[in-house]
Amino acid sequence: MPANTASGYMKGAGAAEVNRPAATRISPALQALTAAALLLPGLTEPARAADDEASIQYGHYEESPRDVYSRVPTSEFGFDLKKIPNNFAPITVDSIHVQGKTLLRDRWRFTANYSEDTWSGATPVATAPAGFGGNKAYGGGGSVKHTDPSLGDTITGATPYIQSLTPVFDQNFNPVLDKGLDADFNQAYGFGSQPLTHTMTMASPETRKQGDFKLGYEWDEAAVDVGGGLSLENDYESRFVNWGGRLDFNSKQTTLNFSQSYTNSTVSALLDHDSLPYLGAIGYELNGKDDNGYIERFSDRLSGGNAILHGKREDIATNLSVTQVLSKSALAEAGVGYTHSSGFMENPYKATYAFFVAPDSFDATTGVYSNLTGSGIATTAFTEQRPNKRNQVNLNLRYVQHIAPLDAAMNLKYNYFFDDWGINAHTFEGKWVQPLPWGLTVTPTIRYYSQSAADFYHPYLVLKTAGSGDANNVAAYRALIQQYPNFSSDHRLSAYGALSGGVIVNKQFARGLNLEMGFEYYSHQGGLRLGGGGEGGYADFSAYSANAALKVDLDTLGRGLAESGGGHHHHHHHQHGPAQPAGLMFGHMLNMADDWMIGYQYMYGKQAGNLLQGAQPVADSAIISNNAVHNPNCANEQCFAAPSDMTMHMHMFMVMYAPTDWLNLMLMPTFMDMSMNMRQLDGTTTPSNTTLVGAATTHAGHEHQTGGIGDTNISALVKLYDDKLHHLHLGLGVSAPTGDVDIHLRPSHTYEIGLIHYGMQLGSGTWDFTPTLTYTGHLDDWGWGAQIQGVKRLQDHNESGYRLGDMLQATAWGSYRFLDWLGGTVRGIYTTQDSLHGAYDRPHVPIGTMDTPANHGGKYWDIGMGLNVTIPGGSLAGNSFGVEWIQPLRDDVNGIQLEREGALSAQWNYMF
Amino acid sequence: MIMFKRAVSAVSMALALQLLGGCAVAPWERGTLAKPQMALEPNPLQTELRGHAYGAREAATGSSSGSGGGCGCY
Repeated sequence: MPANTASGYMKGAGAAEVNRPAATRISPALQALTAAALLLPGLTEPARAADDEASIQYGHYEESPRDVYSRVPTSEFGFDLKKIPNNFAPITVDSIHVQGKTLLRDRWRFTANYSEDTWSGATPVATAPAGFGGNKAYGGGGSVKHTDPSLGDTITGATPYIQSLTPVFDQNFNPVLDKGLDADFNQAYGFGSQPLTHTMTMASPETRKQGDFKLGYEWDEAAVDVGGGLSLENDYESRFVNWGGRLDFNSKQTTLNFSQSYTNSTVSALLDHDSLPYLGAIGYELNGKDDNGYIERFSDRLSGGNAILHGKREDIATNLSVTQVLSKSALAEAGVGYTHSSGFMENPYKATYAFFVAPDSFDATTGVYSNLTGSGIATTAFTEQRPNKRNQVNLNLRYVQHIAPLDAAMNLKYNYFFDDWGINAHTFEGKWVQPLPWGLTVTPTIRYYSQSAADFYHPYLVLKTAGSGDANNVAAYRALIQQYPNFSSDHRLSAYGALSGGVIVNKQFARGLNLEMGFEYYSHQGGLRLGGGGEGGYADFSAYSANAALKVDLDTLGRGLAESGGGHHHHHHHQHGPAQPAGLMFGHMLNMADDWMIGYQYMYGKQAGNLLQGAQPVADSAIISNNAVHNPNCANEQCFAAPSDMTMHMHMFMVMYAPTDWLNLMLMPTFMDMSMNMRQLDGTTTPSNTTLVGAATTHAGHEHQTGGIGDTNISALVKLYDDKLHHLHLGLGVSAPTGDVDIHLRPSHTYEIGLIHYGMQLGSGTWDFTPTLTYTGHLDDWGWGAQIQGVKRLQDHNESGYRLGDMLQATAWGSYRFLDWLGGTVRGIYTTQDSLHGAYDRPHVPIGTMDTPANHGGKYWDIGMGLNVTIPGGSLAGNSFGVEWIQPLRDDVNGIQLEREGALSAQWNYMF
Repeated sequence: MIMFKRAVSAVSMALALQLLGGCAVAPWERGTLAKPQMALEPNPLQTELRGHAYGAREAATGSSSGSGGGCGCY
């Protein structure tokens, strides 16, 4: 979060309001005028900073595919440099960010954030002259690894290749292209400038989650805050604390901001299994167990030999800035920041090619160093090595000028960065904030960034000494370190410029609802570097990002509600009625026309424990059926693996509007992430990873994750009957297939192992009809209800060739309100779901029970127990929270599946 | 004498602070500055999201915020 996000200044008005009885509330206009006259505006927050605010943001980032070149066979013995099709999906990131801000007890401000991103796609690993063949073009079927033009194979895509390149250098150690044999069977070479290329690898989806908070206290002319948080991903765990303060003086025309943060991170990176035998990681073994990086090697039943790169890292950042009012229509800010980092600062997934050119490998007749002469050229890709310390300085300048004729604001920012790694960077940013009628604000943005390369950045390294065929040869490593104590080919440390432009559109609705949408196009090019000298065009890429955010000002909504008269306020209290189980959906209806409700529901589900067949645990020996080659338990293939645990987190956001008092319209987008671990079935042996099935089974030894947008539900709720005791409503809805069903795994050992397991796809892929019928009743503090919910798939199959089974769920519950604000619920749930129909019609490698369409669905009996909190009055009136644990009583699954451990639901609703 | 010196130093301090403020802008003249478009950071949610994307691809951007955070590097 930006360091100088301090608190608002309107807290005086808010505080006065809470203490005043409802009957004597001042009108909003008079409130505003009084506040403006009595209080001096601060500079770090706009006039309407809300005391209580909630926001949700979704973002999508996607890069363009990169151009990959390689040395490709063009005739029986000849080769040439060609661009090869890059079938790796480019990097995409889906993220959500949820934030809640509240004013506790007059001067205390509390902010809590949760964010989650899932990313996957192609990323560069190393760089080399394209002619050396760092990306092998491969073609033919799944079992064919390399092209063979004599067999008529066509080149279908790039695969990373870090062993046995074909390096050739001229007498000045410039790279040369080995063109193979020409028509006269003479060795031919291509001299002259050679393009470089990235060795690209695919990353399977990975999810990062972060939670953080900030607590602040405000005086009239000062504020302090303290905060902390945690960020978790499979390979990186980060804990941080921060503190800061703000001082206003000169009658608030000058503000001094100070902030500091301390971050402690632990890295445990599982190195790319495919490249492990060829990766020079010896440097991390010679250190012993050093926090600056060490390797732990271990063996796994499914995936064989593995290595984890461990490291620790600390960052301390300090920021100081001064904001100054320059005139009635302009203000400026100047700031300086210093960050000191120490520990493991490498990117564990990046490597740098080192070419050891033995002096005796020079052939005077052809004029080249090559593998055909003498000791040849040894190639090793070493995991990169960066210094253990980094000092960074940032200088910031910001200027905001009001443009009176258009009532717009011009917002300019300049940042100069330099560090002791040799990187200097300039950032220029400009925004034009233009308010328009109808509550719209349009802000075009432009940004230019330019950086120099780090001192130790090299696309690849050349050493004029003999190397070794062994990637982990100590002598070769020491020779490397003597000449290059630090080295990295990470494009993030190269010299380049980036230009981006976009637009942000903001729409303020009545009642404190604000929608913001942004789009940006970003272009990274070596040629854009300020002053030239940037990295070559091979490293260029572009990206676009699109996002949408909904912000709710809970004060404005609450205030608006109170002003409609006492009657509405009382009605509002009753509208919540009896507590409903937090895991229930489509259960609430709004009773008054023009009412809105927004809500957020979180669901966590876990499967772990025994494998069940029907309702009974089943032993591995019964599943594998003597290692039968056509085993119906495993999609008619041989069984090797089964799931050991599976976790799902689902975030659902709901917006509901009542156009009349008997009809509600609801929109519910979802965001989810899932992870699955697998284990080897007892009695099986993982095949060699030179076979397709072996490669897929090996890959199953690592945790699989998926995450992103799920399906979106659009529903109408129709009130059928309602009186003081009973209520009945019908829900008619459809689920739109916005969740992916074609997520696939990264290639393993140069094999395309295709789509990920059915249960890990994010959506159903089909339009589904989702009817519900809900009955509720209440008397005094008691409540009860029942619901039938169905899901009927409206299409025969989705784009991946299958459809999920139809579902029916029946539930009945009772609730009791213990206190004015606290209630409990108990319920029983019965669910029946059909198995999958159809099967993947695209490449997919079945290796276990989870790959069988018939092993999905079943009948489930659960009991749910929950607690609900409703806030009856005060500034947070209208909010309700619920939590429910769903305990499985009995699972009767179709075929063979992992049993369920339970599910947790948490729900927050706000009606206004 | 001491009082006079104190007064002079107080006035010079006040003058210095006033000069620091450029031309002083009285509270009732700050209507324009208080407009939402005049905020130093008019779109904090956007800026944070974009900042995270830049930080994953640029060497300089990750270090300027004072609050720490995770990697999410790709």
